[in-house]
Amino acid sequence: MLNLRALMFGGAVLALSVAVGVSPAEVQEKKPIKIGLLAPLTGPLASPGTEMVNGFRQYWNSVNNMAGGRKIEIVVADTTCNPDQALTQARRLALQEKVDLLVGPLCGHEGPAVAQVSAETGVPLVMDPAGADDVTKWKRTPTVIRTAVSSSQIGHPLGEYLYKDLGLRNVTFIGADYTFGHEVTLGAVKTFTDLGGKVDRIIWNPVGTKDYSTTVNSIPAGTGAVVPIVVGADRIRLFEDWFNYGMDKKHKIVASYWLHEDVLPQLDDRAVGIIGNVLHYVAGIDTPENKAFVEEHIKLYKRVPSWFAESAYTAGLWVKTALDKINGNVEDRDAFLKAMRTVEVKAPRGPVKLDAYDNPIQNVYVSKVEKVNHPVLGNILMNKPIKTYEAVSQFWTWKPEEFLARGPYKR
Amino acid sequence: MNIRVIGIAVLAAVLALVPSVASEYWVGLLTQILIFGLLALSADLLLGHAGLFSLCHAAFFAVSAYTVAILQTRYGVTTIPAALAGLGAGTLLAAIFASAVRTRGVYFILITLAFGYIVWGVAHRWASFTGGDNGVTNVPPLTLAGVQIATKAHYYYFVLIVLALALALYRILTTSPFGLALRGIKSSETRMRSLGYRVGAHLYVAFVISGFYASLAGVLYIYFNRFVNPVAAGFPYSVEAILMAIIGGTGTILGPFIGSGIILILRNWVSGFFHYYTAVLGLIFIATVLWAPNGVMGLIKSLRSGNRGEGA
Repeated sequence: MLNLRALMFGGAVLALSVAVGVSPAEVQEKKPIKIGLLAPLTGPLASPGTEMVNGFRQYWNSVNNMAGGRKIEIVVADTTCNPDQALTQARRLALQEKVDLLVGPLCGHEGPAVAQVSAETGVPLVMDPAGADDVTKWKRTPTVIRTAVSSSQIGHPLGEYLYKDLGLRNVTFIGADYTFGHEVTLGAVKTFTDLGGKVDRIIWNPVGTKDYSTTVNSIPAGTGAVVPIVVGADRIRLFEDWFNYGMDKKHKIVASYWLHEDVLPQLDDRAVGIIGNVLHYVAGIDTPENKAFVEEHIKLYKRVPSWFAESAYTAGLWVKTALDKINGNVEDRDAFLKAMRTVEVKAPRGPVKLDAYDNPIQNVYVSKVEKVNHPVLGNILMNKPIKTYEAVSQFWTWKPEEFLARGPYKR
Repeated sequence: MNIRVIGIAVLAAVLALVPSVASEYWVGLLTQILIFGLLALSADLLLGHAGLFSLCHAAFFAVSAYTVAILQTRYGVTTIPAALAGLGAGTLLAAIFASAVRTRGVYFILITLAFGYIVWGVAHRWASFTGGDNGVTNVPPLTLAGVQIATKAHYYYFVLIVLALALALYRILTTSPFGLALRGIKSSETRMRSLGYRVGAHLYVAFVISGFYASLAGVLYIYFNRFVNPVAAGFPYSVEAILMAIIGGTGTILGPFIGSGIILILRNWVSGFFHYYTAVLGLIFIATVLWAPNGVMGLIKSLRSGNRGEGA
């Protein structure tokens, strides 16, 4: 009978331990506002994920963790860049932690999963920085707004820049073979070919490609320029193979999405002078807002912020502005979402506001890698804007209806 | 035997009481543990009973989940036909992939690995049909005879009932002459062959049944998650299913569920306050291999072996 007793005791302990997990909702006048932050803290994108958490905390610490007269509490959950995990964690934050709003996730393919949790539970989602075009175009959710960027939003200006500013007529793309890569690459292909440009070749590489030698060696001879869209550790591998195989002597490279601030410390002077990004944020933007943000970030974390940090910082600023406007009454979800949709924010990346489809209208910067002497970090590489496309919409110059009728960019 | 019946009754009672004491999140997590436990159990039918190490079970799981998701969201098919189609599609795929039983050992592992990657590749690449990386979202909740099972607690009970039936069948199957023949093949294939057993046919059928169980897990998963993307078909899920079975104890019914509980609680709950949980997972796995090769169930058995013989 000992076994039976042990079993029953075990059952009781299990039941109790599960019960402890539930705590009665606090009934208080001005209880803190809880924000659930979904970021990959382990896995392939742990480094941008950490930067995202840093940027978010940096913002809230700078305003004493207060908004609309209420204290802000941040609960961070690890999504591991896996949509299943993101879904489970978003449900945990919404149901268990009872957060008032969600911010995140980072990986593009986690976006739709977390948006679904927002639809299920009604908890507003401030999508940052997942880029999936669908979310603010064909598959919109009333409780989801985006404060970062749509993938193809940075692709469109690139195509025009290649054709008009650089005078290129035939180029080769190196695209990351997943949704984000497809949307950025094909967005640029669209605007480039509409102007009359010709694509020599698009070389698709799976994320996590270990060896870029075959890629760089299959670039067609005589192509006008090579345009990489690569993510994660692939960025460094491409950089190394590019120079190892002497491609810098053969071809011109104009990157769409490549040399971000988080990899610059791992590169050397060979990067200087390369157009490394066409993006809605680079650390070298010359505005007081951005300088204050960058210097503070360097002071706190000893590194130059990339767009992941800025994006989370701006998501915080945006939420704070909206909460202040509605006096912190986040429980009125409609009012909160309306405030998020109507406020205009002066972010480090420049002025931002939402379009009618809940995607930011913002500047896109073409940037070049430069060497600068920083008082704290010493000699470092920095992305400096060389051209600004102002107030770029996710629909570029097309009418929204026209764009939506055309359908998503798919390989 | 008495202890076993009482044990099952107590376990069933505890499981049935969970939604009345636990929060919605814990009910959801427990549902997930049960579903992935079933996936682990399906892979364990081959590993623990027939001695075949399969790395493609996520394929059947995902194909059945995708079938249900696409039929429901795009063609408006109702739950029962969609679920049956899902089970059918997954099992059919298993009947094709079961050709792998012509190989043994490392070749079997490699060929199932390749099969798994094919399905992942299709889910990932055929974006116009499968939604690519973004997957299929907003699958409607399970609806039976016009009644929507939308709350977490109700769905949990639904999963419990389905599991009870599936596990009873599994038990009958593994203790039947067929199940015993599988065990015989696991311990010595040549002996079974010389005794006149059709080894190939046994393994083929076992593979298909195992695929059916993985498909059942896929159907339960899609109505729980209401979202599927290529990750569900990926290599990590196949490996995880096997790991769950090994940590919990292969060749048992409860083992895969214990393993699933350990892995999912570590990943979903412990990750909330301890960021090195993957290292913990690694340590658990190393400890299992070194000191408890028969998993948690093996440990329990060896503790009780004083009064009971080793049960096969």
